[in-house]
Amino acid sequence: MNDRHRFELGLHRPERARDEMREELEFHVRERAARLEARGLSPDAALAEARRLLGDSLDTATTTLGASAERKERKLRMRDWMHDLVTDVRYAMRGLVRRPGFSAVAILTLAIGVGGNTAIYTAVDALLLRALPFQEPDRLMDLVLTGPESGPTEWSYPKAEAYRRGQTSFASLALYASRPMTLGGENPERITIETVSADYLRTLGLRVARGADFGPAVDAGPGAGAFALISDGLWQRRYAAAPDVVGKMVQLDNRSYVILGVLPPGFRGIAGDADALINLTSRDAESLGEAWSLEFSMVGRLKPGVTPEHASAETQTVGAEVYRAFPQEAGTLTTAKSFEWGADARAFDSIRVAPGLRRSLLVLFAAVGLVLLIACVNLANLLLARASARRREIAVRLAIGATRLRLVRLFLTESLVLALAGGVLGVAFAWWAARALAALNPASALQAQALAGGIGAVSFEAIRLDGSALLFTLLVTLFAGVAFGLVPAIGGTRADLSGGLKDDGGAPPPARHGLRIDRRALVVAEVALAIVLLAGSGLMIRSLVNLLRVDLGFQGAQVLTLRMSVPQGSVAPDSMPGFYDAVNERLGALPGVRGVALADCAPVSGGCNGTIMTFTDRPRSATGNAMVGVHWVSPGWFALMGIGLKRGRALEAGDRRGTPKVIVINEEAARRYFPGEDPVGRQVGVYQGGFHTGATIVGVVGDVRFGTLETPAQPDVYISYGQSSPARAMVFVKTDADPASLAGPARVALGDVAPFAPVYDVRLMRARVAEATGQARLSAGLLAGFAVMALALAVMGIYGVMSFAVTLRTREVGIRVALGADRGDVLRLFTREGLVLCGIGMVLGLAGALVATRVLRTMLYGVVPGDPVTYVAIVVVVGAAALLASWVPARRAAGLDPVRALN
Amino acid sequence: MASLPLLKGTLDVLVLKALAWGPKHGIEIIDWLEERSGGSLDVDDGALYFALHRLEERDHVASAWQTTDKNRRARYYRLRPAGKVYLREQGAAVVQYAQALTAILEAGS
Repeated sequence: MNDRHRFELGLHRPERARDEMREELEFHVRERAARLEARGLSPDAALAEARRLLGDSLDTATTTLGASAERKERKLRMRDWMHDLVTDVRYAMRGLVRRPGFSAVAILTLAIGVGGNTAIYTAVDALLLRALPFQEPDRLMDLVLTGPESGPTEWSYPKAEAYRRGQTSFASLALYASRPMTLGGENPERITIETVSADYLRTLGLRVARGADFGPAVDAGPGAGAFALISDGLWQRRYAAAPDVVGKMVQLDNRSYVILGVLPPGFRGIAGDADALINLTSRDAESLGEAWSLEFSMVGRLKPGVTPEHASAETQTVGAEVYRAFPQEAGTLTTAKSFEWGADARAFDSIRVAPGLRRSLLVLFAAVGLVLLIACVNLANLLLARASARRREIAVRLAIGATRLRLVRLFLTESLVLALAGGVLGVAFAWWAARALAALNPASALQAQALAGGIGAVSFEAIRLDGSALLFTLLVTLFAGVAFGLVPAIGGTRADLSGGLKDDGGAPPPARHGLRIDRRALVVAEVALAIVLLAGSGLMIRSLVNLLRVDLGFQGAQVLTLRMSVPQGSVAPDSMPGFYDAVNERLGALPGVRGVALADCAPVSGGCNGTIMTFTDRPRSATGNAMVGVHWVSPGWFALMGIGLKRGRALEAGDRRGTPKVIVINEEAARRYFPGEDPVGRQVGVYQGGFHTGATIVGVVGDVRFGTLETPAQPDVYISYGQSSPARAMVFVKTDADPASLAGPARVALGDVAPFAPVYDVRLMRARVAEATGQARLSAGLLAGFAVMALALAVMGIYGVMSFAVTLRTREVGIRVALGADRGDVLRLFTREGLVLCGIGMVLGLAGALVATRVLRTMLYGVVPGDPVTYVAIVVVVGAAALLASWVPARRAAGLDPVRALN
Repeated sequence: MASLPLLKGTLDVLVLKALAWGPKHGIEIIDWLEERSGGSLDVDDGALYFALHRLEERDHVASAWQTTDKNRRARYYRLRPAGKVYLREQGAAVVQYAQALTAILEAGS
């Protein structure tokens, strides 16, 4: 403490400095005048001279000197404050060093709490909060067509043009659609292309890094020529960053595109994985003019002054006009009840991540926040115990004149020093955790769980510990420091002067239970919070177990998958079945291969293609038709994947072009569309692969989950590659050896038989399945980790309070034992107290958990938020932990020697 | 005799020197300086208080309200350890400066 202020002047406010200066000057003038009078001046003249000597006028002098005095006073106050702070911090550091065990536990607890919060915040920031990397992203809107049943869908070019002409809200509108194409050249490569309208970059507010953007002429209409803007990455990789790349040609799916420019580094289309943009007008009028070919997403930039709400309302109106301009064609079939289509606009930011991912992140954020809260409660508890051990010190400080405020500040400084130490360690932890999160790169996993978002810039790769995360850490740390420091600071300094000085600093007078009631409340709070977290994680774990137990309908453990794509024109359509036979044969001849089969879409891949199915022997209707997933497979696929044949026959090698068209359906299709009937032999129309004219169902196979792990199998039909051959295929290779060892030989073999077809997406089938549970495993794992921490902290809290209670009541125990209580009585006395505290916490926690876990409802699989098994398990676990935590100190009490206890 | 205005840094040193003889209020400091200089120093009254504020900010002096012999409330200033150190260092520098001036001016006469 600074002696000048405390002992000479006491505290005073800078505002008072002016008054004091005036008083000082009045004194000065009086004294000056007295001296002048002594030299012979008349009193009036002396006074005038004294004033003159101060400057131009007394008022001016008072004002300027007053300001100077006030400035000085402020500086002094700041200096004192800093001085006190340094003293307090030094004092706090000394205290922490003196109790290394306590300090280590506290700092570590905080580091985990703060670090966990920061780590999850980096994910929340990157995935939910950070502004999209476009100019004024809040002026961008996502525009969608809304189907009568399908929800938001894409646009066709004619509908988008009709909308563009009808609307007045948007300054510019751009269409984009992404799809894989084969990049020709030495090593054909499968890359993602975004097909866009000419004002795509301008709408987003981006510029090319070199060359030129698509000009307006490009958008004049279909057939405008083929142009491309390539990504910075492709420019570096394929063109060695050659400055003269503009004007060169790039081969995509056997067509030449003129390179107009290079995209800015880091921008790879809205979907985030494109290596080139091509103009949609490079397509011919016929393919682009198809009104029901819904393939383009649309993004619009609002005109200045137009609100998103207005734009949304106008879009709905114009959407109805668009439907009237393009009514459903006669003879069209739909699964919906009606044909009414519309349109809508929503904030572009709203499609940044899938709602499921947003929800998981927020749940994790809340959970990790709870962990920190429990850590704070625990530390408050520990500090409160320390404060009561320091009652004598506090009493002495109060007695020699320290104000309560000053002591509270001292205590708070101690907890803030602790918090900051924990925060620094926490940042180190968070830095590591953020890197781990960024490396997750769960793009394909998110796809497999239908959680992929619409905007590529919003990806796990964007997770990093940046300035905003550090600011967040600082705020969290300060909050934590105040949160766990304030209760002991206020509670601890309440010490009664005489009591603290008189007694030995150990037991407070029996009548005063203030401190102990505070600590009990904290323990109750800890248990309650831990229960909420345990309930959440328990439910997530049960859900994960259910997910892992799901019967996917196939055996893929020994299977390697490779995707291949046959560029247009490489194989004549009539030769396709023969080509696929050759692929099968060539791979089947590899050593160690037990079987080879093809399918166009892998199981648990997030979703496959589907269409409408009609029934030849039933009355036809345009609406309310059956929807089926359509899968092309080679005849051996069912056997290779261990999918059982339930009825009829599987597809066979003899089902070729020219033979009657046949399909196999799954059990779900049989159940839903042929209830109580035998589907085998029935005639249906499948509106893909030329099968709408009719095909015969020859068999029924077991259900396979093609979508997400948690979505039950949908009705599916299987078509043979022998009868209809799409250009895409996934090759499934089965081996008794390690399937990963086949990746190299299989690639080489495919290169031999189809040098023109790029091979990509080479992965083990079991890796695909693991990805499908990735999000669930991550969420459940993190939540479980948080819950375990919470439980450990709560147990520490109970143990701390109970052993403190034993210490406080040593004398009481001595008396009880002296009066005839036996060890069992004492044991029960303390254990019961611990269990009562825990019980109250449990009841509160269970009530809270029942409410809080409702947010998990959509994240759970096969378990409801109120799942009694989970809750019973938690009660047992927490009860046992509480019993142990209070039994250990209780045993110590029971072992007390009454003679020593009473001394 | 015409009195010369004081340089700012010099005033600080003189005030510290005055306080080195014991705590004083503003007028007492002026009295002391006039007495020591034989009335040849003209201390601007306002400048004195600015100097005192400056010195207090630097922790060279401390101030407190006390009662005078005549039982009046006055603000007394006293030297702080940092002020003592400053006086020792800067005092020597001012003396050197004055000697240099003296040498130059007297050589010309």
